[in-house]
Amino acid sequence: MNARVDDNVVSRSLAQIGECGLFLLKVLAAIPRSGRYARETVRQLWFVGAMSLTIIMTCGLFVGMVLGLQLYHVLSIFGGTAATGTVVALSIYRELGPVVTALLFAGRAGTAVTAEIGLMRATDQIAAMELMAVDPLAYVAAPRFLAGLIAMPLLCCVFCALGIFGGHLVGVSWLGIDNGTFWSNMTDTVEVWQDIVNGVIWKSLAFGAVVALIAVFQGYTAPPTSEGVAYATTRTVVASSIAILALDFVLTAFLM
Amino acid sequence: MNAAASPDDTLIRIRGLTTVLNGKKVFDALDLDIPRGKITAIMGPSGTGKTTLLKHITGQMHGDAGQIAVDGKNVPELSREALYGLREKIGYLFQNSALLTDFDVFENVAFPLRQHTRLPEVLIRNIVLTKLQAVGLRGAARLMPSELSGGMARRVALARAIVFDPMLILYDEPFVGLDPIALNQVLKLIRTLNETLGITSVLVAHELSAIQRVADRICLIANGKIVAEGDPHGIENDGSPWTRQFFGGEADGPVPFQYPAGDYAEALGFPRAKA
Ligand SMILES: Nc1ncnc2c1ncn2[C@@H]1O[C@H](COP(=O)(O)OP(=O)(O)O)[C@@H](O)[C@H]1O
Ligand SMILES: [Mg+2]
Repeated sequence: MNARVDDNVVSRSLAQIGECGLFLLKVLAAIPRSGRYARETVRQLWFVGAMSLTIIMTCGLFVGMVLGLQLYHVLSIFGGTAATGTVVALSIYRELGPVVTALLFAGRAGTAVTAEIGLMRATDQIAAMELMAVDPLAYVAAPRFLAGLIAMPLLCCVFCALGIFGGHLVGVSWLGIDNGTFWSNMTDTVEVWQDIVNGVIWKSLAFGAVVALIAVFQGYTAPPTSEGVAYATTRTVVASSIAILALDFVLTAFLM
Repeated sequence: MNAAASPDDTLIRIRGLTTVLNGKKVFDALDLDIPRGKITAIMGPSGTGKTTLLKHITGQMHGDAGQIAVDGKNVPELSREALYGLREKIGYLFQNSALLTDFDVFENVAFPLRQHTRLPEVLIRNIVLTKLQAVGLRGAARLMPSELSGGMARRVALARAIVFDPMLILYDEPFVGLDPIALNQVLKLIRTLNETLGITSVLVAHELSAIQRVADRICLIANGKIVAEGDPHGIENDGSPWTRQFFGGEADGPVPFQYPAGDYAEALGFPRAKA
């Protein structure tokens, strides 16, 4: 390897992205072989999905509540507080739901996956699997990737539901918007295809794939030392956050 | 390919293996034959590449040149499927045990069985308990790896390595951290596996007295080559400077104690002595 290329941050990042892309191909190729490890995928789904529920639900509730509060005050300037429900729902479905869920998911589940795989490599568990003729790409990498892919849309739906509940709590129960107005304005404006399918489902699937890929890749390629695993965990959060927000812009531009 | 034509009594045949790691020549045209059904010990100063040699034999790592034929198959040329097929017949004992931390002792030993067979649960249970009994840890079946001492973990790893009754077992420093009783047990186990099942064993270790009790042959590796080989009881006094230094534990001799380095005085910042 060329030392000058290694020293350059830009080319080093580009090289990482390239390696990550190749790694994605390997993981995708391993998915059919991971069919026999379906139990492992379910176990990972429990770890990354079910175990993230608390943080997703709590944050969803607070994001919805703060949105309700802010929007009520802004909209009251124009005498349009009746639109609070609509605007809360739209901003959650289209942007905040998928983006905040993905950021939280990277912090809660992505880091755990990276640290776990990194430690498995550092303690020779990955090598032990290879020597027992068990393909670690199919047994370790693919189930965690699939679990992330499946968990993200589900978590995002939970986040959205709690967010709207939070908005309702503040807008209707606290600030006194009429309950019927809140819901009927919302259901009139929100479109299933445009806002729910494109916003919630597609975005969260894409974010889930990106976060899960980065987390598994960083763990899999972490240097087998405590420092190496620590840096890999940090890189998972940094790279995921940048990727989520950049991809969000691209998806918004193309899908909406 | 002449490696494939190995006679039946040689299980592993290494020819001209050359490996450079980080600019250091770990193996330099190394030749080695491991006979079938025997216990071969590989000794050598630490850092000479004993672990690396085992990694080459199992195809975890490939050399820059040379051939490694295991059971007549040249390892570097095998496809993934063929390599995995070969590995199912090889037991490997890691220097640091490498137990799967997600599972308890029982499930660690059962892991290869569950992955590669569809045996009924009763049979798996019987096989696993037999192997655990053999290493004296049947009572520890439900402990987690984090609850084991180093020596216990090594014995669990040994039980896992033999759960398939492989044709070849590679032991990387199996005696480190064992108390005299466990050491005796493990020695007896290695012997029994070899005698009753005809399993070929390659043993990397430093404990000459232990090795003399089980091994049929010793190979001494230094400077990337096999520098001496022979009978475990005669090799100490075969007159070669390598064996005299290694088994005598002398710092001076053909085996370098220092990892290759530049001039010492210069590294400490002393002015060079005038010639
Ligand atoms: N992955 C690696 N990358 C670079 N050098 C390595 C690697 N693994 C081992 N080495 C080097 O190879 C040599 C042999 O190491 P090893 O096989 O672990 O020795 P030992 O005989 O003590 O088991 C050492 O000098 C080590 O620095
Ligand atoms: Mg070693």
